[in-house]
Amino acid sequence: MAIIDVQKLHVSYGRAEAVHGLSLTVEPGRCHALFGRNGAGKTTTLKALLGLVPVTSGSVTLFGLDLLRHEREVKSKLAYVPDAPGFYPWMTVRDALDYAASFRPGWKTDVEQHLLERFELDPKAPTSSLSKGQRTQLALTSAVSADPELLILDEPTSGLDPLVRRQFLEAVISTFQDRDPQKKSLLVSTHLITEFEGVVDEFTLVDRGRDVLTIEADTARASYRRIRGWFEGDAPSSTPLTTLTPPTREGRMLELVVDREADAARAWLTSAGAQRVEAEALSLEEIFLVAAAR
Amino acid sequence: MVWSIDYHSGVPVYLQVVQQVQSAVASGVLREGDQLPSVRALAEQLRVNRNTIARAYGELEHAGALENRQGSGCFVRASATPLRKAVRTERLTGAVDSLIVQAHTLQVSDDDLRGLLDERLTEFDARRKSEE
Repeated sequence: MAIIDVQKLHVSYGRAEAVHGLSLTVEPGRCHALFGRNGAGKTTTLKALLGLVPVTSGSVTLFGLDLLRHEREVKSKLAYVPDAPGFYPWMTVRDALDYAASFRPGWKTDVEQHLLERFELDPKAPTSSLSKGQRTQLALTSAVSADPELLILDEPTSGLDPLVRRQFLEAVISTFQDRDPQKKSLLVSTHLITEFEGVVDEFTLVDRGRDVLTIEADTARASYRRIRGWFEGDAPSSTPLTTLTPPTREGRMLELVVDREADAARAWLTSAGAQRVEAEALSLEEIFLVAAAR
Repeated sequence: MVWSIDYHSGVPVYLQVVQQVQSAVASGVLREGDQLPSVRALAEQLRVNRNTIARAYGELEHAGALENRQGSGCFVRASATPLRKAVRTERLTGAVDSLIVQAHTLQVSDDDLRGLLDERLTEFDARRKSEE
């Protein structure tokens, strides 16, 4: 049974962001990423999953339960780290965690302690005195300590310095999947794709409120290739092949970006007179850039 | 041992971990009884999904290269493989075939290829001895 099953989701609210018929399925134990430009509809999709915005049409099923009819049960199994976490300013770090724990029967105090130490968060510090990085660290501590089956992260590391970003990711890897990794699912929306490259099992490209591509990360990296050929004289200026981006020519070198057609591209370059041909897989960020430009 | 993941190789991440352990064993960097990092530690170090490392270790265990001792970790096993010789030969044939195809594409002669193979075997042998 899928942990997340969204079918033909439509959300109209405000004007800046909206979702137009997005579908998304995530199986248990998977880490699924939403990639997309600003305003593509990623945050609205996550908010619809959390019941924070009204769904115009379509269905949202989490843990096999309809979100609207079983909101309390669904919410007890998930946790969320927003891009700009807010806390009651009069609370200390300790108060904020105790408050969050009061709603969560499965609260893990050992996980909480481990993360507080790892992040060097002072339990006595007022939440109003925390930096942006520390607020995110506190939000993650709170989310993971609740021992959710599904952890939803919305642009969790944007605006943080590189060291804090790295610590954040390492903490997610080290603590979230600790118990029952087969049942711990992660949904992350990010534009810092490189950072999450190794963690992401599969991803959905979101553009203008729609899912335009859903693919396994390993499959994507195995399919997309950048093939370069070097010629004796000037490289040919065009190719009969279907390429994902227009061929780039630099003097003696011609570069083709292809999906699954690597062998054909190599063969064509060789037959066109290339003396040396090299191929390289595209990283997820490069795949995103290629797909987003289309 | 130094671990690294290359996202431009197009090789699945779990397979890169499998291959790195295999080549460390073949070159003597890892020897029988050596302990590998825990799934959690290696996942955190490489910043990859824990399920990916667990899958890699699972494959290595299945292939007889690792032994998972409950509670104490993963250890390199003696070079013994549970696969019969015929199966081992069959598995290697594919790799040898693609090597031959590549040599042909690069216009390396059969004799030069044999020479290169001998040279590399000697090199790995020397590396193993220097690790001992």
